[in-house]
Amino acid sequence: MVVKAENYNRPGDKQLGVLFDGGKVRKRREWRGLKDTLYDYGRWLHIMSILAKFIAKPRNIKAMFRYRWMANYLATPHMIDKFTMGLRDEPLRIVHTSMDFVVYDVASTLDNIFRGDRRTGNDVEYSKKCVLSDENAMTAFMMGFPTVHAILREVPCMFVANLLTQYSSTHYLDVAQQAGIPGDVCPMPEAEAGTSIDDDFAVLGCCAVQVNTTCDGSLMGNGIIAKRLEREYGIPTFQLLAPMRHREEDVQKYAAEDMKKAIAFVEEHSGEKWDWTAYFESAKRVNDATRKRMAWLEINSTPYPQFVGAPFSLYNDTNYMGNCGRSKLFPPVDAKLLALAQQGYEAKRMMAPEYRHRCIVWGVQPQYCIDMLNWMVHCWGVVPLTDMLSMINTKMIAEEDTPENREQAYYDMAWLNENMIMRNRTHGGYKVLVSELWEFCDMMHADMVMLWEHMSCKALDGMHGQFEEQARERGIHLVWVCHDLCDPRVYTRQAIRNQFNDYMRTVMREEPLDPSIEILPDDNAW
Amino acid sequence: MSILCNLIKKLLIAGGSFFAVTFVVYFFNLDMKLTSKIEPFLIKHYDTMPRNTYL
Amino acid sequence: MKDLKHLLYFENLLQNADNELVQQAKSEGKICVAYVCENTPEPLMNLGNAFSVRLRAPRTDSMEISTYYMTSFLCEYTRALLERAIEGGFNFADGIIAPDGCTMINRCVENMELLHTMGEGNKKFFFSNMEIPLKDDDNGVELAILQCKNHILAPLHDSYGIDISDASIRKAVKEHNRVCELIRAIGEYRKGDKPRITGYEFHVLTLATYVAPKYLVIDKLEETLKELKTRKPENKEYRARVVLVGSEMDDSDFIKLIEDTGAYVCADRFCYGSLPGRDPIELNDDEDALTQVCRHYVHSCQCPRMMNMEKVYGRKQYVNDLAKEYGADGIIYEQVKFCDPWAYERTLGSTMLRDDFGYPVLSVDRPYSINSSVGQMRTRVQAFVESIEIKKLRGGAK
Repeated sequence: MVVKAENYNRPGDKQLGVLFDGGKVRKRREWRGLKDTLYDYGRWLHIMSILAKFIAKPRNIKAMFRYRWMANYLATPHMIDKFTMGLRDEPLRIVHTSMDFVVYDVASTLDNIFRGDRRTGNDVEYSKKCVLSDENAMTAFMMGFPTVHAILREVPCMFVANLLTQYSSTHYLDVAQQAGIPGDVCPMPEAEAGTSIDDDFAVLGCCAVQVNTTCDGSLMGNGIIAKRLEREYGIPTFQLLAPMRHREEDVQKYAAEDMKKAIAFVEEHSGEKWDWTAYFESAKRVNDATRKRMAWLEINSTPYPQFVGAPFSLYNDTNYMGNCGRSKLFPPVDAKLLALAQQGYEAKRMMAPEYRHRCIVWGVQPQYCIDMLNWMVHCWGVVPLTDMLSMINTKMIAEEDTPENREQAYYDMAWLNENMIMRNRTHGGYKVLVSELWEFCDMMHADMVMLWEHMSCKALDGMHGQFEEQARERGIHLVWVCHDLCDPRVYTRQAIRNQFNDYMRTVMREEPLDPSIEILPDDNAW
Repeated sequence: MSILCNLIKKLLIAGGSFFAVTFVVYFFNLDMKLTSKIEPFLIKHYDTMPRNTYL
Repeated sequence: MKDLKHLLYFENLLQNADNELVQQAKSEGKICVAYVCENTPEPLMNLGNAFSVRLRAPRTDSMEISTYYMTSFLCEYTRALLERAIEGGFNFADGIIAPDGCTMINRCVENMELLHTMGEGNKKFFFSNMEIPLKDDDNGVELAILQCKNHILAPLHDSYGIDISDASIRKAVKEHNRVCELIRAIGEYRKGDKPRITGYEFHVLTLATYVAPKYLVIDKLEETLKELKTRKPENKEYRARVVLVGSEMDDSDFIKLIEDTGAYVCADRFCYGSLPGRDPIELNDDEDALTQVCRHYVHSCQCPRMMNMEKVYGRKQYVNDLAKEYGADGIIYEQVKFCDPWAYERTLGSTMLRDDFGYPVLSVDRPYSINSSVGQMRTRVQAFVESIEIKKLRGGAK
């Protein structure tokens, strides 16, 4: 059912293609009408202030010259521009509220990393209270360690870096492949392994906790990283497991017992004791975040979705996985986002003149092209209601400090660990990956699924035929969009978008809402 | 009173100038145009750094 | 060397998944339990009236249909299995047990289930997915016990009334051990300068023990062992002795290819191989058999999915120990194309075996059926063998 905006009149630039000239960066920023342009300008100043505070510290400048991946952060404001393209009113404010906070969070992470890093800040006492954690790992095991810092050192190197510039990972992929790792494996753990082989990770921490999430590739890449940590840098590692068949009852005890061991490991090496009060406070925040996320999804199930697209996905990643209830800073941001979403919904705010299709985005996104979700809205009137990485835990965990809940807490933390973003769908059986997708389509009234086919994701690829056949049975438009996660040499951005363009033109027989962005000259762009 | 007026006048001029300059930088994307010119020098630097490449 | 009496028999047996011994056992009313991963405790699938068959897809050429379902990026072993299942080639099975050992095998079996490729006309047929430990510790052993109870023993008992008692498990272990002892004894003839059995012949025999009912191969293995006691070895020097390490390998032609270049495969540390797949399981009377069997599989497991660092380093140490025991000059690390776990294990393993243990190492990936890539592989192996020869001539350390 097509939803048309009443009296839609987007102030400012009507054709978004005017912003592009084929260069590395955009010709200019978007004119959004006076009110929203001034708002966006104000948020740009805010981002600049975060960056200025960061570079004011000499250790961070030193890091810029030491670590190749730091160069990507020159493009931080450019990233925000990608996610805010074409937006006004509440949707613009939602993106800024969420993404500006993510920028702040990442800047803090970087600052902490370089504070403890042996090669830059070298704050030894601080480093002794740091625990390294994987990029794709829930930090639930740190919920009861308020004085120990969880350092997700891989996140800024790979995950965030590829949001900023498309070629951020290619050097590390080349290093990994030169060392002998084949090119068909998932580029994420491959790039992490490559970063380790190239000695381009910061070195800090009293210990490291690795997890086998997301997949076989992550599990295996950890061995390469751990070998260097242990043998060269003397940082002991613990491998925390998340069972594969995480929906089954008979694996939960296994997971909970290993969680206990992980916590004991951190206690042993950090010298800090587990704090149950802190844990249950974090648990409350986890539940609060879960409720907010479900509320956003409920709004997205209406004809006027508000908090959608890449910012929705990335903010959920940051809050759910990276934070996992540990920081007090997230709840007020969640509350503000919910308020804005409700406000936008009540005002029937739309991001495009019409929404022709309601789309669930499934699979794993190409990091360097995740802003495509915003592009879909403006170019084709296809609104992305949610994505696979945002369909995570909906269960409330125990938040009251009682003897029974202290035992239950290990199971809860293990459950969160198992239900890490992406992984909770790609592993655990076809029901969580395929069957539940159709349930979400019903729940959110979606008539279309855009399936990011990350070609190296064996978990997803393995169900290719089933997706096709079952979508056909249900009359759901399934748009395959292939990519290789973070390697633009395999699929360029336009090649990715063209798969969607081709479907819309040939199957749906539709014309774009904004033809000026159907073909974007961004092959050379950051 | 006149000191206060002078101060306010100076603040307004400073604020206005700050706004004008930064808004021009913002709107014409001069910040990103500048940093995009810096990037190749950094890449060259990284390429020439000695590395302990080790599996 | 004089041909082994039963070699041709076993070679022919391996031409079909539904081989004559499987058919014989089925005609005797036995229950065929199919499985797909070496991490599944074999004796538990050979209780009472049941016998286990590890699935393979010999003489696979086209994998077009399975590639549609699983795409060309998944490992060829899993696609070959699915293709064969869709063709009806596994309809002899009465149930299938699939550990979530790796993502790809999981997807393979899930597709088999969703496409109803097996169990037609058999209401008792079951698909059983199970978790297997990721670490070698007591917690892992406890998990293995629980999973085996819930996902192997329970379906066997509930569907087919199989006796799953402790006594039954001990009996199955005894039969399993007999096969292991025979294979290991045969394998001993690979040692020394003049081995009495080729790597190829050994692989054929070992494979047969995975894909046919054990009770029907024991007599032929006993005869083969007896034969080997008096078999005169070839009067030739092998150019190099190599340990073959890697992912699943049910294609003996690959071993033949290596040996055609003048090398000798003296030890088989791969999935479907004898090390550690044919290590006997020692049972005592102090503890229940199920626990001991599970502990054995967890501790002896050399699958790269075992992720604690003791295991990560331990696997390389194990290869080193094998190389010493079997007098190897070099190591060949192989993986089936698109196998994620072995992609990394091969990289790290070949680096460590070279740098830390000082072996020449060849690291290759291969298609499921080597016949589609003979020329390329032969060139790689030949070059490797020559490099070992040159090293030996120069009197270099291994």
